[in-house]
Amino acid sequence: MLMNSKRLLKVAFTVAATSTLLAGSLPVAAESGDAIRKLTLISRAQAANPQQFQAAELIAQAWRKLGLDIEVQGMPRPQQSDAVWYNRDTWDLTMWQMAGRPERSDPDELIYNLFHSTTVEKGYNFVGYVNPEYDKIAEQQRVTANRDDRKVLIDQLQDIINEDQVYAFLVHPLQTFAFDKTVWDASTTVVQPGLGIKNFWTFSNIAPLGEQKDMILNSSDELKAINPFYISGATDSWITELIWDRMMRIGPTGLAEPWAAKSVEWADDAKSVTVTLRDGMMWHDGAPVTTDDVVFSFTAPVKFAPMYKPFVEGIANIEVLDAATVRFDLTEPNAAFETSTLAKLNLVPKHVWEPRLIALGEGESAESIREDTRIGSGPFKFNRWVTQQEVVLDTNKDHWAAPKMDRWILRIVLNVEATLGMLRTAELNFLSDYTGDPKLLIEAADSDGDLDVVESVDIGFQYLAFNLRRPPFDDAAFRRSLSAAINRELIRKAAYNGFAVTANSVVSPALSFWHKAGIEKELPTGMDLAKTILSDAGYVVEDGKLHYPAGKTEQFNE
Amino acid sequence: MTYFLKRFAHMVFVLWAVATILFFMFRTMPGTPLAAFIDNTTTAEQQDALIRQFGLDKSLGEQYWLFLTNALQGDLGQSFFFKKPVVEVVMEVFPNSVILTLTSLIVAYLFGIVAGAYLAWRRGSWVEGFGIPLVLTTRAAPEFWLGMVLLAFFSFYLGWFPSGGANSSGSEWTSDWQRVTSLDYMSHLALPAITLAIYLQGLPLLLMRSNMLNVLQEEFITMARMKGLSTWTIVIRHAARNALLPVATAFALGIGGAVGGNVVVETVFSWPGIGRLLVNAVAASDYPLAQGAFLMITAVLVIMNFIADVSYHFLDPRVRFATR
Repeated sequence: MLMNSKRLLKVAFTVAATSTLLAGSLPVAAESGDAIRKLTLISRAQAANPQQFQAAELIAQAWRKLGLDIEVQGMPRPQQSDAVWYNRDTWDLTMWQMAGRPERSDPDELIYNLFHSTTVEKGYNFVGYVNPEYDKIAEQQRVTANRDDRKVLIDQLQDIINEDQVYAFLVHPLQTFAFDKTVWDASTTVVQPGLGIKNFWTFSNIAPLGEQKDMILNSSDELKAINPFYISGATDSWITELIWDRMMRIGPTGLAEPWAAKSVEWADDAKSVTVTLRDGMMWHDGAPVTTDDVVFSFTAPVKFAPMYKPFVEGIANIEVLDAATVRFDLTEPNAAFETSTLAKLNLVPKHVWEPRLIALGEGESAESIREDTRIGSGPFKFNRWVTQQEVVLDTNKDHWAAPKMDRWILRIVLNVEATLGMLRTAELNFLSDYTGDPKLLIEAADSDGDLDVVESVDIGFQYLAFNLRRPPFDDAAFRRSLSAAINRELIRKAAYNGFAVTANSVVSPALSFWHKAGIEKELPTGMDLAKTILSDAGYVVEDGKLHYPAGKTEQFNE
Repeated sequence: MTYFLKRFAHMVFVLWAVATILFFMFRTMPGTPLAAFIDNTTTAEQQDALIRQFGLDKSLGEQYWLFLTNALQGDLGQSFFFKKPVVEVVMEVFPNSVILTLTSLIVAYLFGIVAGAYLAWRRGSWVEGFGIPLVLTTRAAPEFWLGMVLLAFFSFYLGWFPSGGANSSGSEWTSDWQRVTSLDYMSHLALPAITLAIYLQGLPLLLMRSNMLNVLQEEFITMARMKGLSTWTIVIRHAARNALLPVATAFALGIGGAVGGNVVVETVFSWPGIGRLLVNAVAASDYPLAQGAFLMITAVLVIMNFIADVSYHFLDPRVRFATR
């Protein structure tokens, strides 16, 4: 009631002031609009993601100095997803992250899906960013086959995102992995930009030095599925890419390279690509890999694998040219086709999967199928999965790129602190999932002497998302000011213990070709600057509380 | 006979009530089971397909009826997460939980009974002055802390025991029986079982001690002393037998309670068990799995309670006469 009468008075005063101005009398000092409501910053709970929660606390502290009333609210992931993803109109601010994955080595997946207006309602663009100019360039880069020309467009898009500060990017974390260098030959590991040494190439190349030929790695995820048509979480993708081959793979350079394909040749108009299969490829059950299997692998997802469907939708037709060659005709030129489709879809045996897919009931998809034996053609064969304990893969000695290890054993270890001890007692010999303090790991490696620690910048990033549907976040100046008030260096050092690099782009510096060099410096920061931006945009602090510019009332759909 | 029937009907009623509460509790919880499934790429049609696939498009009453009738036939539905029958998922880890629980309970109760009887007998001595605070301290120590200390010392420092899982990595077994009776399994079991036993021993010990103190004041003990019986005979044959009954009940209930309540120990030692399964299922709104796991734990608890009651009927004539 009190608020209402205050607001009424203010409106009356503004009207009066405007009319006196119109009447040509003395100018009045800048007036303010409504006070900005209390804002809630959602984060993962402190116990689940201490770095993120601490970053949120640091940000809230800085913003309070601008006159904002900020509350940090920690919650479990499903609840956070529920609040942000399913109720897009109701949240204000949230901490969020994008994970690094091999297929994100091409900037398209993030740059298009995160900010294109078609994904506002249900898709990736949960912040509600709509910019026709951005849409146009994002579409254009997809059909630009020349890499250098496309790079110019990708740079422009990074500039627009920086200008609009759609997100407040925080950091790209450093990933830390370690292995026992008395067991594995350190020179045979492969670093993949953005993914570190835990990647397909290391697993297929690494050479044992002595008797121990089993690689024992760890994951802290309770595994849910191992399915060529479905990725349920971070860990299963490490496994599926070892069992099932792909036509191409994202190579150590970050670009797609032919894999199961002997050659990949594009037509001049970039609308069709001819792919020739390697000779003598075999499924793990002994059957040969045929072009029928290839066609099946790229057509089945349309109806049966919702998760992979978006990646085959651009295919208009697949033509079998001879026993080893197929031609993909695309609906329009697609620069990211190699990365987002040829290097993403698993080659799946038709004779195993077709009968299963036909037998599916209404509303079911390939995701609901759980195999006992898993048949791929990849360098590793599925041996077994013991719930909550381990996944064992045997090497496929008949593969053209047969790994040098004997078995690949993934242990489910929930206790992060214990993984360090396990690495030192040789219960693990490759630390593939470590979310603890990297300093502890480095200290342990120093005192042990047998361990090699490898750090690398992540493709993924940590950020703070504004809900652009709700004022005051619909105002780019407001977002820019808030972003300028964030001390990223402090977050990097305090929350991430120095194991991160500061970020201001959706394209990680790990992807050196696509990342716009120096974009971090194009966002000047500081509290004074933040305040200047706010006052220039008409925001006013009254009694320590930040108010909207004159005439702006807080109105939006709850 | 009517006593057993009544008791049995009571048990069935409790199970039904728990099943019903579970069913509605999970469905009124905030959050949608889909939240656990959305990757950033899930589309609207996919969400609808998921809803149909999970049967969430049916009315609540319909879902409840299906749940009850299926549960009666031993079908607890399909786990949203694991995409296979709940019974199968639960049974994969259930034996591990039962073995861990039973081992640690037996160790804890054997120790607790003997030490409790001894402390009661030595009442007022320095042994009691030292023993009781020690018991209280171990009882109050957080399980995860205890687990980490044991891990650091026995596993990482001395290297006596492995630190995680139920079997060595990549080990092969011809049968489950061979697996759980192997030395490998037992060495993995040692640390979690000891941690849990240390945590659990306080209750039987203190219970036994206080019962003993009561019994020792009874006239028949004085009588036994007057007869000139040896200390050993008095404590074990006469006093302890009478003090044991409430401890036996606590043991039976402890099995049910501990089967599902080991999540901390299971996490610290990466032990595959039903507690972990349950926590995961709740966090992911995997209704069928959470319901199924809760229901199985309840069933164990209720059945153990039933057995305890019935055994009382035989063990203690006072109960038998009271029901007549």
